[in-house]
Amino acid sequence: MSEARTNEARAGEARGKPEGASEALLDVRGLRTWFPIRRGLLRRTAGYVRAVDGVDIALVRGTTHALVGESGCGKTTVGRSILRLVEPTAGEIWFGGQNLLGLSPDAMRPLRRRMQMIFQDPMTALDPRFRVRDLIAEGMESFGIGGNAADRTERVAAILRKVKLDPDHMWRYPHEFSGGQRQRVGIARALAVEPDLVICDEAVSALDVSIQAQILNLLAELRAELGLTYLFITHDLSVVRYLADEISVMYLGQIVEQGPTEALLNEPRHPYTEGLMAAVPSVDPNERRIRPAVLGDLPSPAHPPAGCRFHTRCPKRFEPCDKREPALYPLERGGASRCFLVSDSRDSRSP
Amino acid sequence: MTPLLEVVGLTTTFPVGPRRVPVVDGVSFSIAEGEVFALIGESGSGKSQTALSLLRLVPKPGRIEGGQVRLGGREISSLPVPAMRRVRGHDLSMIFQEPMTSLNPVVRVGSQVVEAIRLHERISASAARDRALSLFKKVQIPDASSRLDAYPHELSGGLKQRVMIAMALATNPRVLIADEPTMALDVTIQAQILELLRELQQEFRMSILLITHDFGIVNELADHIGVMYAGRIVETGPRQALLASPRHPYTQGLLASMPARAVRGQPLHEIAGVVPPLSKWPPGCRFCTRCPRVLPQCETVWPEVLEVGPGHTVYCHAVREDVAAAAKRA
Repeated sequence: MSEARTNEARAGEARGKPEGASEALLDVRGLRTWFPIRRGLLRRTAGYVRAVDGVDIALVRGTTHALVGESGCGKTTVGRSILRLVEPTAGEIWFGGQNLLGLSPDAMRPLRRRMQMIFQDPMTALDPRFRVRDLIAEGMESFGIGGNAADRTERVAAILRKVKLDPDHMWRYPHEFSGGQRQRVGIARALAVEPDLVICDEAVSALDVSIQAQILNLLAELRAELGLTYLFITHDLSVVRYLADEISVMYLGQIVEQGPTEALLNEPRHPYTEGLMAAVPSVDPNERRIRPAVLGDLPSPAHPPAGCRFHTRCPKRFEPCDKREPALYPLERGGASRCFLVSDSRDSRSP
Repeated sequence: MTPLLEVVGLTTTFPVGPRRVPVVDGVSFSIAEGEVFALIGESGSGKSQTALSLLRLVPKPGRIEGGQVRLGGREISSLPVPAMRRVRGHDLSMIFQEPMTSLNPVVRVGSQVVEAIRLHERISASAARDRALSLFKKVQIPDASSRLDAYPHELSGGLKQRVMIAMALATNPRVLIADEPTMALDVTIQAQILELLRELQQEFRMSILLITHDFGIVNELADHIGVMYAGRIVETGPRQALLASPRHPYTQGLLASMPARAVRGQPLHEIAGVVPPLSKWPPGCRFCTRCPRVLPQCETVWPEVLEVGPGHTVYCHAVREDVAAAAKRA
C-alpha cells in the first residue's frame, strides 16, 4: 500500500485491470468530477468547479479508509462519484474487477448493490412517508433479495437486531426514532442488500458524543462481522485516528497527503495536514494546543490558486509554490505528500 | 472576590402536554471578572436555554419561573424591560452559532455594526463608522475598510462570525455570551476564531460564558466548567480538576466516550440509552435511567450538592456514598 499510489508511479502501467486488484476492493484512479458553471440566457458553460480534480484512492478489502478534509474540499463528491450519483468527468473506478465508468447502467446495476452509502443526516436520507420495514426492504426488492414479502420482513427483523434496534419497531416511521436510532435505520438500510463497500459520509458528525460512540462501536462490529470495507468521509481527525487504517487528506479537489493512519498522524508531511492537526482542540487538561496554523479562508474551487493549491494559506510556502504544481511524492514512511518540501528532502524517492 | 455574573436557581419551563417541564431547573453558577466559564452538555441539556433565560430572551411558550441573575452585584432579573434592554446591549453581549440567522442579509455588514453602536451610544454616524472599522481590525478582518461595505453573503463563515464578534464587542460588554460560536465552522477556521476569542478576552479582561457540546473547545478556552444534563448542572469545577478527575458518572461517561480519549482497536465507552424525552424526565436525578451506578434513591430524590475539591462540586448520591465510605475507612 505504501508505495506509489501516485500518478507518476502509474504512468507506465498498462491501462487495464490494475495489478494487485485482488487486494484492493476499490481502486480509484485519476478521478475528475467537474461541475459546469452556467451563465446567461443560453446557460452557456462559463467555467467549471473542479470539485474533484485527479484523485487516486485504493481501498484494501476489510479495512477503513478515511477521506479527510474540510467543507468544499470535494470529499463528498468523491463518494458520490464512486457510486455514480454524480457523473465523473474523467478517471477510472475499479470495483470487482471492472471499471465502473465504462459500464452501461444495466451492467452497473449488480455492482450498485455491492456499494452502499450512509449519510450524515438520516432524516433527509429516509423518506418520512415510509415505515422502517419498507425503507429497509426497498433495496432488497429492487435487487431481488428474499423470496417474498414475508421473507423480506424476516430479513428486516434480522438486520434490525444486528443494528441493535427492536424488530417490533419496523412498523414505525422515521420520525418516531431518535437521531441515533435513525442512523441505525440508515445503517440497516445500507446493509440490507449485503454490500461489500460502505461509504460513510459524515455518518456520525451530527450526533451527540454519547450517541456517536454507540454508532462508531456498531460500525466497527459490523465491519468485523460482515467483512465490510469502509470509505469513511469525515472532517473529524479524532474519529479518524480511532478507526481508520489509511487516510487520504483532501484540499480543493486534490489529495494532498496519504498514508497509514499512525504514520500520517504521527508524522504529517504536508503543511495542510499539520494545520488540520494543530487546529483540533485537545481534550487533555495538561495541554492546550490549538494554533491557527492554516491562514485565511478557502479559495473558490472554481478558481483554485495556480501552483500548489494550498499556497495561499500555507505558512511554509516558498519560491516554487505559486508557480509549479507539486505532484504526490511518495514517502518512506508510507503514503505520499503533495508538497515541494517533501520532494526536496531525502525522504523522497522521486526525482 | 465577588463574582461579576452570578446566577442563582434559574428556572425556565416549557409546556409539554398539560404540564410545564423545567428545561432549566435551578441552575446556579458564577463567573469572575476575566474568567471563561463553559456550560457543556449534549443537545437538549438546556445549556442554550440557560443563556437565553439569564438574558430574559426565552422564546414563547417558554417561561422564566424564578431565580436571580446579578451582574456586578446588581440584580438584573427583575429589571423593567427597557432597563434590561440596555443591560443586554451594553453589559451582556451574545454571539450565536449561526451568524447568518443574526445578520440581516440585505444590509451591508458595516451598517449593521454602526447601527448596533448607535443604538447604545449617542455618537455621529461617521464616528460610529470609524469605531466599526477599528472593531473590524480588532477582530482581524482582512481588508477591513472594504469589508464594511460587504453584504453578509459575500463573506465566508469565518468572516461572518468575526463580524458578529465585532458587533458584540461594540459596546465593550463585561460579559460575552458565546453560544456554540464555532459550530458551523471548519476546524481550521474554528481554530482562528478560538484564538481570537482568547486574545480578546485577555486584552479586555472580558468574562465569557461559553456554551458548547465540545470538551476540546472547553479545554482550550475555559477556566471553569459546568456540565449540564437534562436541565440541571450535575457537576462544576475548575477545568483541570474536572477534566482530569471527573466525579459524576455522566461526566465520566461523556469523557470516556470520546474517540480522542480512546485506544485504537478497543470499543468506545458507551453511555447506555438516550436522554429521556421531556415528558419522561424522572423526578430524582435525571441521569438515573442511564447511570451505571444508579441507587434506589436516585429515581426519586435529587441529590444535594457535594464539594469534592476546591470549587469542584457534584450532584450524585453514589459519589456521596463513596466519600462517606472513604471517610469511614480513614
